[in-house]
Amino acid sequence: MANRLLEVSDLQVAYGDVGALWGVSLHVDPGTIVAIVGANGAGKTTLLRTVSGLLKPKSGDIRLAGQSLVGKAPQEIASMGIAHVPEGRGLFRQMTVLENLELGAFQPKARPRTKELLDKAYALFPRLKERIHQKAGSLSGGEQQMLAIARATMSEPSLLILDEPSLGLSPLVVQQMFSLIQTLHGQGVTILLVEQNIHQALKVADYAFVLKTGSLAMRGTGADLIADPEIQKAYMGVLE
Amino acid sequence: MFNLPPPDILLQLSLNGALGGAMYGVAAVGLSLIFGTMRLIFLAQGAMIILAAYFVRTLFYGLGIDPFLSLLIVVPVGLGVGWLMYQGLFRKAAAEEDRNVSLLIAVGLMFLVQNLMTVIWGGNTAGVVTSYTASGIELLGVRTSFTRSMGFLIALAGTGLVMLFLRKTMVGKAVRAASEDMDAATLMGISPHRVNAIAFAIGISLAGAAGVAVATTFPFNPFAGFIFSLKALVALALGGIGNVTGALAGGILLGLIEAYVQYFISGGWTNAIAYGVFLLVLMFKPEGLFTRPYKKA
Amino acid sequence: MSRTLQCIAIVVVAALALLPFVPGAVDAYYFSFLFFIFLYAIMAQSWNLVAGYGGQISLGSHAFFGLGAYTTAILWTGNYLWGSLYDKHPSIYYFDPVTMLLGGIVASLAAVIVGLPLLSKLHGDYFALGTLGFGEIVKVLFVNGGDFTGSAFGIVAPAGMFDTLRPHYWVALGLMVATALAIRALMRSRYGLALIAVRDDEMAASANGIDTLKVKVAAFAGSAFIAGVAGSLYTYYIFHVGPDSVFDLDWMLLPLMMTVVGGTGTLLGPILGALVMYAVFDLARIVVPDYHPVISGLTIILAMLFLPKGLMRSFAGRARTG
Repeated sequence: MANRLLEVSDLQVAYGDVGALWGVSLHVDPGTIVAIVGANGAGKTTLLRTVSGLLKPKSGDIRLAGQSLVGKAPQEIASMGIAHVPEGRGLFRQMTVLENLELGAFQPKARPRTKELLDKAYALFPRLKERIHQKAGSLSGGEQQMLAIARATMSEPSLLILDEPSLGLSPLVVQQMFSLIQTLHGQGVTILLVEQNIHQALKVADYAFVLKTGSLAMRGTGADLIADPEIQKAYMGVLE
Repeated sequence: MFNLPPPDILLQLSLNGALGGAMYGVAAVGLSLIFGTMRLIFLAQGAMIILAAYFVRTLFYGLGIDPFLSLLIVVPVGLGVGWLMYQGLFRKAAAEEDRNVSLLIAVGLMFLVQNLMTVIWGGNTAGVVTSYTASGIELLGVRTSFTRSMGFLIALAGTGLVMLFLRKTMVGKAVRAASEDMDAATLMGISPHRVNAIAFAIGISLAGAAGVAVATTFPFNPFAGFIFSLKALVALALGGIGNVTGALAGGILLGLIEAYVQYFISGGWTNAIAYGVFLLVLMFKPEGLFTRPYKKA
Repeated sequence: MSRTLQCIAIVVVAALALLPFVPGAVDAYYFSFLFFIFLYAIMAQSWNLVAGYGGQISLGSHAFFGLGAYTTAILWTGNYLWGSLYDKHPSIYYFDPVTMLLGGIVASLAAVIVGLPLLSKLHGDYFALGTLGFGEIVKVLFVNGGDFTGSAFGIVAPAGMFDTLRPHYWVALGLMVATALAIRALMRSRYGLALIAVRDDEMAASANGIDTLKVKVAAFAGSAFIAGVAGSLYTYYIFHVGPDSVFDLDWMLLPLMMTVVGGTGTLLGPILGALVMYAVFDLARIVVPDYHPVISGLTIILAMLFLPKGLMRSFAGRARTG
């Protein structure tokens, strides 16, 4: 238990009519990739938005390295070490690529090192370096997703949350995206990933949780779940 | 049908219109910032401008401080007042994200400030008359008022400084980010209250600068502010909500429209035509006249 | 509304209706005090219909109020139409139902004409700004209306005196009750459900086959109708209809404020808000005559800081919205 980076226990969220959560518990160990998979409206995005403080839980607890996040504002949670790439990427489209990256390092602990962090980001995302003075909104879909992830890494987060990074991208770019996720993992970044592309997500994940209409349906290592006939029938059959 | 007037009159009209419009513009820049982060139509902006004008007048007649020199006092005081105003009046409503409440607080503030001014300075029209009030200068071969030209310069300088702040400083970039997407900005660690308070501080200090310009050029009374707020809103819409340079340009354009309508049609119709243009722009070019619609990637 | 509340409402209305019969109970001052509360309550209901139930923040109520007032004044003087009705029947002209109805109809026609383009094109704050612009345009049109509207001075009704305010009082009370009952019936009908659906989630409502534009324009027009009738009522009280008096922004701002203080989207909120706010204003006017508008501003700010959800929801628990 002491080793858990993120510990979500018995989380209940009421959020309009769709995507509510009914007592979900899960955890992320440091240095791992954890995937949350499930159908549309299962509550995956709600879960992520609650972890990063954009939604307030009705009950339950969320702890990051032992510290409770419940009741904290999103900006406080961000400076505690969570970087969240939201669904739809949340880029500042009217601002340049460089400005977006700089804002990724807005927190006091990262800001003095912006230059160094920018160089690190350019090394990982060489395509972005060519476009630093372009407006974020003018990038292609794949580039925008790269920028969103690069921006999130600028704060050197202890936990990187990705909400549907492959949404709306071509198969080739999706491949690039997942290999990038593995590269980040190789550098020791802990990642919590929500995906509808279940096959790909389970392939890269060390551990995965399956959400079904707001509750936890299954859990296991990525490899185990891929092999699970029930998962294959319920989710992957649709995709293959 | 009307005949086209001689070019020198046309130039005079355009110059006067542009100079007067710049004041709407600087008020609109403040509205634009506050609307940007808080999505609040700050209807009390005009009342704050008039309050600043009375303050400038008091400094002049009470302490003998030159109105233009009083910029050095009014602008910093405006920053402080704006900051405190946000913390005291709007912070709670902003946290609850109920925009009706913020709008009504702004309305209440407008009532309060207007009537306080009436109680303190009386309801009559007041003005500031200095040694140079009546003097003119030659601009583009046309004679124009010195104070109006100074007002124009103040508007340009104020907008320029705001632009620099928004483009060159990290805090300014945070304000722009928050204006575009508050949720995403908070995920970067940006505090909404901080950017809101900054937007308010700058907005009110711009109201202070506009107050100097108003005090030196126009006679004013405690209730003149509301029409100023409306004009600033029109300028804001013409320039594109959330576009700072556009707001200034929108103000100048509105000044031109008013000057031309007044000359070619009649003074009684200026407001109707200004608001008519406003409605048309809102409906058919809501992103403003000076921005190209953004292509979705 | 619970049964007890219904009973209380009936008793209160009956008591108010009978009040003028109690000798010496009310003098002219209290008649006009209550008349204005009823008038503001009607205006607040008007705003509540489009903004509270419909979710479309309109800042143009004063335009519809003024349209109703002018319609009444123009029909009353009647010079341009058929010769003044008043000249033929001076004793029966007051509160002529046809004229009052026409005041509402003219206002709601104007609302349909501007509402169709505005509501199909503009959302949220943009709609609010658009209605504000519309209000200013209407005002300028009347200022420039020549003899037809009396230009900047306006129109003075051919009457000038009344012995008693009792008829005003009863008509205002009746209209306030009628407005509340009509809105109550409306919000319980299929249309009311559609209006709430559009407010809460326009996309979902439209996906469920609701013609959202029609629903919103109807609410806007209904709200304008109520405001127009209120304007007509005011004309019978004030006689002089001028652009600066009936198109005054206060006719939009005060009802808006009263509704929010009372409770937006509740049936009794606008009435309660009108009562409380007007009483506070009037008290301030008597106690601190020089400062009373300052107190008004302060009251709005304090109410919003400490009772942002309105009186109905703060004290009466969660009121029904439907």
